[in-house]
Amino acid sequence: MNGNTLVRAGRSCLLAVAALAVVAGAALCAGGGPSFLEEIKAHEEKIDKGGPVAVSPVTRPVVEAREPYQGGTFAVLARKGEIGRYPCSSCHGKGRVLVNNGLQLTHGDVVVNHGREGNSLSCIDCHHPEDRDALEDKKGNRIDFDHSYQLCGQCHFRQKRDWLGGAHGKRVEYWAGDRVVYNCTTCHNPHSPRFAQRFPATYAVPLP
Amino acid sequence: MSATDQGQPGQHPLDDQTSRRAFLKGVAAGSAAFMALGCVPGAASAAGGELRLRWQEFFKKNYRLMTEEERRETVARLERLAAVDEGLQVSIGCEPPLPRVLFGYAFNITRCEGFMECVTACIKENNLDRRSHTQYIRIFEMEPGHLDPSAGDGRFFHEVPVENKFYMGTQCFHCENAPCTKACPTRATWKEPDGIVVVDYDWCIGCRYCQAACPYFGRRFNWAKPEVPQQEVTAQQHYLGNRLRPKGKMEKCTFCIQRTRKGRLPACVEACPTGARVFGNLLDPDSEIRYVLTHKKVFRLKEELGTEPKFWYFID
Repeated sequence: MNGNTLVRAGRSCLLAVAALAVVAGAALCAGGGPSFLEEIKAHEEKIDKGGPVAVSPVTRPVVEAREPYQGGTFAVLARKGEIGRYPCSSCHGKGRVLVNNGLQLTHGDVVVNHGREGNSLSCIDCHHPEDRDALEDKKGNRIDFDHSYQLCGQCHFRQKRDWLGGAHGKRVEYWAGDRVVYNCTTCHNPHSPRFAQRFPATYAVPLP
Repeated sequence: MSATDQGQPGQHPLDDQTSRRAFLKGVAAGSAAFMALGCVPGAASAAGGELRLRWQEFFKKNYRLMTEEERRETVARLERLAAVDEGLQVSIGCEPPLPRVLFGYAFNITRCEGFMECVTACIKENNLDRRSHTQYIRIFEMEPGHLDPSAGDGRFFHEVPVENKFYMGTQCFHCENAPCTKACPTRATWKEPDGIVVVDYDWCIGCRYCQAACPYFGRRFNWAKPEVPQQEVTAQQHYLGNRLRPKGKMEKCTFCIQRTRKGRLPACVEACPTGARVFGNLLDPDSEIRYVLTHKKVFRLKEELGTEPKFWYFID
């Protein structure tokens, strides 16, 4: 190694040190402390659900979910009361149905648009084949209509994970108080879960 | 000024905190009598009460300097003036910020489908001017690959959702380091301790510096007195929120302060048919908003400005 290379190496060392100093200085100038997001996440202390503000209970019928949420429990909107012809056993499993009631009772209004094209779901993919008052998942578990998330979640597990955490779906009315969330079927029609195309509720005009 | 207004016996008149108000009351009553004689025909006593209200309203303090009692007095006056001027029975609140609460908002750009029901709910809840189509929320139809709303179409009106487009909503982001509040020459806008950036409409002079300072186009100006059909006025109001604004005032999204300080969700969140909007307490580790911030890929608009918006976008 001759002197020239030594000088060159020394110079590049100096440059590197200078560059480091500049970077460190910039970091200091930018505050260098925790970011806003880090400051928020530093708040780990639990807040009592009755905590900052008391809210009145949700008036719509709810059931306690059979899944934990952040170590506690939460409630979902009940479904059975929303199904016009529930309980299904009032027709199914009680003798024969008269022909003149047939049109009304054949579920001709139900259009199944669930599942990939050419691989659509059939009724008993979700409905219990014997007990019409219930649903059945692929493992043969009987599932209550109020707890349909247990059924939907077997395929839509990512959505269910997000829903349990709060990144999918929404809470009912209050951000405070006990957690009450929309059920899968509150928003999605289970037979045709994708939202239909429609016109927006309003339109925007240019800003003044 | 009557003798009973002079304060406690033995107290120096200058120490009497009520003397200024009492003086104004006197002036109001005097001018009412003058106007009754001069130009206002009849109803002198009724006009006197109303004039006194207006005088007291005109000389009130900035909301931040008011004591709790003064706040209650001003909202009571505003309720009476709403009845006198508009024939409306409204209930105006002055709820203070909640302890250990910092509001935050998240918007799921995978889920929003551009139905704009949030916008109509916001217009209704916040008594926005119907004539100029004032809207706090804007929804942009975006081409894939873009994340800047200025590259999107904010004026779409066709069936939604359109294949291979996504939708992105903007509103006031309630920056933690809000540039608009620094631009205000009268300190009529500020960030409340619960993180909501608010406007005191009665201290706003309508200079629109804040509108120019906002990098997100989050503020709206009332060029005329907002027109709201009487039967559509939302009666549950807040002093810093959706009360009917006078002409020439700046206004903006307040995270529906009249609702959220009572624990309710903002109107846009409640109206969203797809669940794209998440609202909650950033200081609560169990809240939905914290779940989103911890488990999802989040970003904010123009983060490099250092404004620290409390409004995150996320994808599923």
